[in-house]
Amino acid sequence: MTPSDSFLVAARLSLVMVIALTFQLAIAPRVELFGVHGDLMLLIAIAAGMAAGPQRGATIGFVVGLIYDLGLSTPLGLSALTFALMAYAVGHLQPLVIRAAWWIPVVTAAAASAIGVIVYGVFDTMVGQDLVSLSLLKVALVVAFWNAIAAPIVVPVMRWATAPAEGLRVRSVYR
Amino acid sequence: MAVSRRRGVRSRFILALLVLTSLTLLTLDFRDSVFVRTARDAAGSVFSPLKGVGESVGAPFANAWRGITDFGEVKSENDRLRERVAQLEGQDVLNAAAAQQMLELTAQLDLEWIGAIESVRARVVAGPVSNFAETIDISKGSRDGIKVGMPVVNGAGLVGKVVQVNANRATVQLITDPEFAVGVRFLNGVTGTARGQGRGKDLIVDTRLAPGGADIPEVGAAMTTSGIDESVFPENIPVARLKETKEVGGGLTLNLVVRPLADTEKLAFVTVLLWTGGS
Repeated sequence: MTPSDSFLVAARLSLVMVIALTFQLAIAPRVELFGVHGDLMLLIAIAAGMAAGPQRGATIGFVVGLIYDLGLSTPLGLSALTFALMAYAVGHLQPLVIRAAWWIPVVTAAAASAIGVIVYGVFDTMVGQDLVSLSLLKVALVVAFWNAIAAPIVVPVMRWATAPAEGLRVRSVYR
Repeated sequence: MAVSRRRGVRSRFILALLVLTSLTLLTLDFRDSVFVRTARDAAGSVFSPLKGVGESVGAPFANAWRGITDFGEVKSENDRLRERVAQLEGQDVLNAAAAQQMLELTAQLDLEWIGAIESVRARVVAGPVSNFAETIDISKGSRDGIKVGMPVVNGAGLVGKVVQVNANRATVQLITDPEFAVGVRFLNGVTGTARGQGRGKDLIVDTRLAPGGADIPEVGAAMTTSGIDESVFPENIPVARLKETKEVGGGLTLNLVVRPLADTEKLAFVTVLLWTGGS
């Protein structure tokens, strides 16, 4: 990737993060199902793994999580840790997901979202909160549902945001 | 093959670096580092306008969604309200007297809790943002004298404490948040620490009471903040009522399940006590 490509990718990612964070902080909490709303920031991290692979995905996931932690009053670094791990894990599935049928990235995003919520809950319990319970499973399932709905939009957006200028013309997530 | 292996090693190295950075940040946060506080304050100043814009843009969509999901409830509530309005129209005089009485009572209650402590009233502008953290945003901030750690109350009792402040906005951690803890005292002198358990759940008070002891408070007993030592809350703010007792630690001690007096799910206005006595 050339320096101008890196600059372009950073600019696109910043734009996506600002929009996603605005949505997550202001709109998502008002659109709830069973008292649970979607986790767009987690989805952004997972989609980064799908689009950019484990290494870049984990880095993007870490930054997204860090920004999210700063926007909330949750322990700083907890979302960053969870998102980086999830993006890294999903990044390893990139070759399988990238040119697969349209529903495979959606199912992957939903499953990874559910796992991400549970991983977050476990980490949060390790640092003092008691989140591991049946309600954590409910939150994981509802977040997976919301994120599955958003995935067909978010995954291509992250594909666009992380692709170098040259790559944009030839690559597409969905066939 | 060698290139692929090098990439694998590099990506694992970067992941390890990110994990270490996260753990460092977590440690700094738990030690209440100035660096983390400054970063949060700076981020809050940036995110606050973003939230405002997002809420303005998203309000119609959010209302539409609420209309879809709560349609049945809204319709039946509408019917109930129509009936209620019809009843109330014939009771204007009685209502005015009742309203006056209520104002006077509220003023007395406020005096009882707050005493000489200065306070600021604020509107609740946003509900919980995370699926796990129980926080609300209020319409006043550091320009009105609000600081991190200040207690937040409403007409019923303790609501939470301020955890983040920007110029015109503050974030309040509710008493139901799993990270919230407050020293409490029952009227019979029993003290303990009440901890939040999550949205819509009762608080748990851990005490040193033994099952069957004479000083166990009765169900329904009220408790207030204890204000012991360097508590972040002044004493005598109503917190909750005892709902039931639970044996823990193999039946050696009792945990008390208490229901908060303030309904944290239906907050419109709150009062921030400009009190930093515990800091």
